[in-house]
Amino acid sequence: MTYDWGVVWEYRSLLLRGAGVTVALTVLTMALAIPGGLLLAFLRRSRARPVRSAATAFVEFFRATPLILQVYWFFYVLPATFDIRLSAFSTGLLGLSLNVSAFNSETFRAGLTSIRRGQTHAALALGMRPRQVMWQVILPQAVWRVLPALASTWVSLFKDTSLVSTIAVADLSYNAIQIRAQTFRILEVLTAMAALYWVMGYPQAKLVDWVHRRFEVTE
Amino acid sequence: MSDRPRVGHAEAPILVFHDVEKRYGAVEALAGVSFHVNRGEVVCLIGPSGSGKSTLLRCANGLETVEGGHVVFEGIDLRDPRTDLVRVRQRIGMVFQHFELFPHMTALRNVMAGPLTVLRMARPDAEVRARELLRKVGLVERALNYPAELSGGQQQRIAIARALAMEPDVMMFDEATSALDPETIGEVLSVMKRLADEGMTMVVVTHEMDFAKRVADWVVVFDHGRVIEQGPPVQIFERATVSRTREFLSHLGWQAALADAPSGAATESPPALPPPPQSEASR
Repeated sequence: MTYDWGVVWEYRSLLLRGAGVTVALTVLTMALAIPGGLLLAFLRRSRARPVRSAATAFVEFFRATPLILQVYWFFYVLPATFDIRLSAFSTGLLGLSLNVSAFNSETFRAGLTSIRRGQTHAALALGMRPRQVMWQVILPQAVWRVLPALASTWVSLFKDTSLVSTIAVADLSYNAIQIRAQTFRILEVLTAMAALYWVMGYPQAKLVDWVHRRFEVTE
Repeated sequence: MSDRPRVGHAEAPILVFHDVEKRYGAVEALAGVSFHVNRGEVVCLIGPSGSGKSTLLRCANGLETVEGGHVVFEGIDLRDPRTDLVRVRQRIGMVFQHFELFPHMTALRNVMAGPLTVLRMARPDAEVRARELLRKVGLVERALNYPAELSGGQQQRIAIARALAMEPDVMMFDEATSALDPETIGEVLSVMKRLADEGMTMVVVTHEMDFAKRVADWVVVFDHGRVIEQGPPVQIFERATVSRTREFLSHLGWQAALADAPSGAATESPPALPPPPQSEASR
């Protein structure tokens, strides 16, 4: 069997465009899922029980079902049942954002509860209002503390974005599989796809390692 | 008994505890505590661990809720539902056993936290006030260090400066030296002593009996969530009327120290205060 690596060069722009979509999806998802996770974490600490329960149910649903199912669900159920028509990209972004928000909320919640009670007391004793205590004293420390966990979620997310290729979002996976189908150059195309993911993912993983070393809590 | 009237007795007391009750489940943490603090007075709360001293301090600024009786600060009943506890806390400075500096802020920023966030002071003004207070506790050269870079004694002095930055009417110290290395206890006590000399109203929960004896105007002895005795230090440390007080003090070796000294001499020759922190010389 002969290999034809020319096919990779020939379809380079499609592959690179796909890589761009993958990166955009990762960045946008995180940009939505950090405030989303924070919001859910706050809702789960709400004094109102129904609010707390609803937020918990949301989180537990997204944590306990497969991401691919969630993406499918949004793709088929939203337009059919609720007549909400989104582009494939927006649908993928929505599914990923809600899913990662659920995971981030757990991370933030752990971070918030890890801050000593005495910090709250000290801030209250100064005369701060509960909201000021949260935003000036507790949250900054909590975010600092969960940075390593958020970084790990980021790298998982980068790879998990490939699941949206199942609903025809033209990310790196989808485009690579399209090229394979047209050229039947399975090995070459999949190798190129792996190389692209690795070239982008490896520095991120290294960055995460650095974040872990730099921000690991040593109290 | 001392015939001298209590410090600040002519005015209404700044802080009144009246029959205060507090329980944690089946445990009665405070079983009807009554005493008061006058303006300008240093009141030391002493007694065995778990006797309710620290709980009472936290009730005084609403960090803990009271289940019976009343806590009245500057005429405001803390149990009155119309009372804004946040406003009350702004008038009461508190220093904690474990410092509780904000670890993500520099020493300077910690001291600025109250003026900036609570008083909404302009940043330059808050910084001037904070630097002045850091100078006062002898740590102005540490302004830009983070708490983790400072010793326990230094952290506690900064915590005192942080509380003072709100210009409170009363300062409460919750075992402020209990978590410190022996060699740094002195620098914190001397800052507290100086505050007392300046006329600050102070409520001090402490196990440092030397400090209580020399600095307090009034001593309140706690046991099992009750006040078992209160009076001027001379009474408590030399002529305690309640046997449980004498028992507690002798457990701390106080009786032995007293036996060494000729009677009545203890007040004249107090053990020397540890030297103040180095940088105070510049004051």
